[in-house]
Amino acid sequence: MTVIEVGREDRGGLTLRQRWSHYLVLIYGVAMLLISINLRDSILYATVPYEDVRAGIRAFYPKGWLLDNEGDYVFRVRDMTRPDFKTTIQVQIIPISVDSTARNLLDNLLLTRAQIFGQYRQYPRAAFQLSDESSATAVNYTFVAGQDDPFLESFPTVVAGQDIVVLQREQAVIVTFQVSAERYDQLYPVFQTFLEDLDF
Amino acid sequence: MINYIRSFKPFWKTLTFRRQGAFGVAVALLCLNGASGVIAQSDVLDLDRIKRATVFIMQARQNITAPIITCVGSGTLVSRDGLILTNAHNTVPNANCPGDLLIIALSVRPDEPPIPLYQAEIVQADEGLDLALIRIARTNDGRLVEPSTLALPFVSLAESDEPRLDTTLTIVGYPNIGDDAVADVRGTIIGFTAEPSGGNRSWIKTSAEIPGTMSGGGAYNQNGELIGVPTTAPVTPDSPESTCLTLQDTNGDGQANTSDNCIPIGGLINSLRPASFVRPLLRAASLGLGIEFLTASQQQQETTGSPTFSGLFFAPSVNEAGLPTTTIRSLPSGSTSLYLFFNYANMTSETVYELRATIDGILNPTFGLSPVRWSGGRDGGWYVGTSEQPLPNGLYDFTLFINGVASDSARLLVGPAEPAPSFSDIVFGVEDIQGNIAGNGFVLPVASTVSARFIYRNMVDGNAWAAIWVRGGAEIPGSRVEEAWTFGEQGTRTIRIQAPSGLLPGSYRLDLYIDNRLAATSNLTLAGAQDGRFARIFDDTHFTTADSVEEARTAAAINSFSAQTESIYALFDWQLLAPDTLWTVSWYIDDQLFFEQTLPWSASETGENFVMRITGRENIPDGTYRLELKLNNLLFGSQSARVGIGQLPIDRFSNTSGVQIIGTIFDTYTGSGISGAAIFIITEDYSAADFLRDWNQTQVFAEAITDRNGRFEINRLLQPEIQYSFVIVADGYLPITADGVQVTPDDETLDIPIYLTPG
Repeated sequence: MTVIEVGREDRGGLTLRQRWSHYLVLIYGVAMLLISINLRDSILYATVPYEDVRAGIRAFYPKGWLLDNEGDYVFRVRDMTRPDFKTTIQVQIIPISVDSTARNLLDNLLLTRAQIFGQYRQYPRAAFQLSDESSATAVNYTFVAGQDDPFLESFPTVVAGQDIVVLQREQAVIVTFQVSAERYDQLYPVFQTFLEDLDF
Repeated sequence: MINYIRSFKPFWKTLTFRRQGAFGVAVALLCLNGASGVIAQSDVLDLDRIKRATVFIMQARQNITAPIITCVGSGTLVSRDGLILTNAHNTVPNANCPGDLLIIALSVRPDEPPIPLYQAEIVQADEGLDLALIRIARTNDGRLVEPSTLALPFVSLAESDEPRLDTTLTIVGYPNIGDDAVADVRGTIIGFTAEPSGGNRSWIKTSAEIPGTMSGGGAYNQNGELIGVPTTAPVTPDSPESTCLTLQDTNGDGQANTSDNCIPIGGLINSLRPASFVRPLLRAASLGLGIEFLTASQQQQETTGSPTFSGLFFAPSVNEAGLPTTTIRSLPSGSTSLYLFFNYANMTSETVYELRATIDGILNPTFGLSPVRWSGGRDGGWYVGTSEQPLPNGLYDFTLFINGVASDSARLLVGPAEPAPSFSDIVFGVEDIQGNIAGNGFVLPVASTVSARFIYRNMVDGNAWAAIWVRGGAEIPGSRVEEAWTFGEQGTRTIRIQAPSGLLPGSYRLDLYIDNRLAATSNLTLAGAQDGRFARIFDDTHFTTADSVEEARTAAAINSFSAQTESIYALFDWQLLAPDTLWTVSWYIDDQLFFEQTLPWSASETGENFVMRITGRENIPDGTYRLELKLNNLLFGSQSARVGIGQLPIDRFSNTSGVQIIGTIFDTYTGSGISGAAIFIITEDYSAADFLRDWNQTQVFAEAITDRNGRFEINRLLQPEIQYSFVIVADGYLPITADGVQVTPDDETLDIPIYLTPG
């Protein structure tokens, strides 16, 4: 006996198992994409923890940047692969008197840096809020940097920088970001991430 | 090795891109690992490095429109952070060089004139010795220079103070003020000139004829170490012998001519100030140490008349106190030393003096002295001498010049001579009951009787002889002995001076005459209380720390100070020390002299708490400090104290021996230089992998960044027998790493090409 089914739709030949297989492939593809993006980001934006117990500073700085804590700062990191000015993030703590204000400090910074940097220009100062909602003062500036070695030839680079100044009791924390002016907008997120993770 | 690498260039162009990349890495590592035979070490003369360390110095005064150059000279970098050794006469402001700005020009390219790049300031200077140490402080556009950011080529001073006759020298400096590049002149050491300021080796004489603008540069031995500073001081511009060049319109009349200020240039130089004079100044300048006299500060002696020389006489030798052993009018053939003694008055450290010597009427530079600054006091006795070299027979004429004008002269015969009556070797002391002379010879305690013993030879009974005692330039009444000789042909004789109420403290001189001719003379200082046979002049020498001088006088003595001490006071008591008596203060750190000054005593005759203060640039560096107080080179007071760990920290950048590495980084594909690439040399304690994991500055021995042409210079010298790692990174290129890189000494700087592969 032959049974003829009439009026039943052809479902394209996909079984339930096949259908779920399609779904899983799609999910797997999306997952792989997300993992890839994450891997890329973790390589590009990987950070390294840094802690200075004496100074009470804890931070995460970009992986592959050169760490230096032998100067008159708590620490400084530089991206040594940059072809022009080596992008720099620096944290410095300086003692201040109880009467000092952010303006006094920024004036001193201006006067000092104007003696050291060529064509140093400071732009209007603005209030800044850190990730822990504490208030700070931000100041942007530009200057011209060149080779220190007089026997080598290099064109000077215009550098853009930002100082974030926080007054705490009888000390001031100055977080500095300096980068080739051409790349300032491109690399500012790196500094923002650094500030978000900075704890002092 | 460099030629070997160059020979690969044609072959290089035949390679495909991928093979070029791989080969570039291989060549780079080969260059670094196989560096033997291409590397420089400072036990050979690295003239290129020396020339790069030689600077041209322009002293200028600020004007409304542009600086006006007032004086010029050469100088030499002696530290990587910009300390420059040069002369004082063209850097420290004075009547001839009144500028207040020092401009430093470097030879950026060895065959081109120097380019002004920096401004400098004076950190240490001795105007008499005509030496100064200046430090680069600003760029030429006025920006401050942080010394730690500088990594300039520099030279080291010779360790030995004993350069030998006939040693080959290379003198490096700038031959004129025009378009010439830094130059070198070769010569040999032909003699030494003695002065009281530094004994028999006060000046090194060279056969090289050195242009006047090279004054302040450097003279190097075959090891590339600086052994002397070519020094001459231009005489005043109004002197007939001066050379003065007009370069600028200084009076603003629209013309540059003789009515404008000119730049004085010295004549040919053949005198070098030895490196031993530089060392204390350099030590103090490097450590930032300064000494202040806070009690009866150094008396500024005013000069009232014109400078003069007088009373010239000769001696064959000097004793340990710098006094003539005897006086002579001739020297026997074969003699190897001769000293010309004379009195001077109204001299200043800006006075230029010169000694010209002729033998049988022919000028002989070996026994003369080119025009140099005066390094003595205002008034007193001085000598210029020569030793360790045979004096040819002949009639010697010596003429002294002051500021280019002949002052006084004397004549001496060297050759076969008949023995003549003589007195020599005067020694002072206190006589005991057996008639023995005791004491230290030239500084005796204040007493009522002082004895002098001398040797006499070839005397004939009946010769007229005299002994005259002098104090403060005047004969002591009643002290003169004048009689006929009755004591035989040769022997020793003792004479005395006595005052029942006691001799006054101060400086005395004994002159001995034979037949009205000065036969011998010597000086004596009476100071301090009697302590056995010796004088006790200084007491209770101690150190302390305090907030003020007044507080220091009562503060307790301290022998061990903490690190970071800002200043230290040194105090002592003194007794029976007459005003104007010359005394010497010497300061040592870790047994190395860093300050010495001889000056006339200007406080009261007896007193307590003479105060000096030692200060550092920020703090006093760790070390063991010693203060010595002397009269006539004899020690009368000493005290030591420790600061911090009691030892100077090691300066890891002070080494000038090792291998210089320079090079260029190329793109393997385009062959063009890569700018902004970073080259790291990792210390022997870490590998390249360690560094790429940690990226920590503490692991870095040296680093460099390439310029726009891909050129780089490693800012520290690599030491042979040490294994370094290399890491080279650049944006957009695959990094290069190498471990176990070791260099070996050779005679050339290593210049390596390195190829990076894009990736």
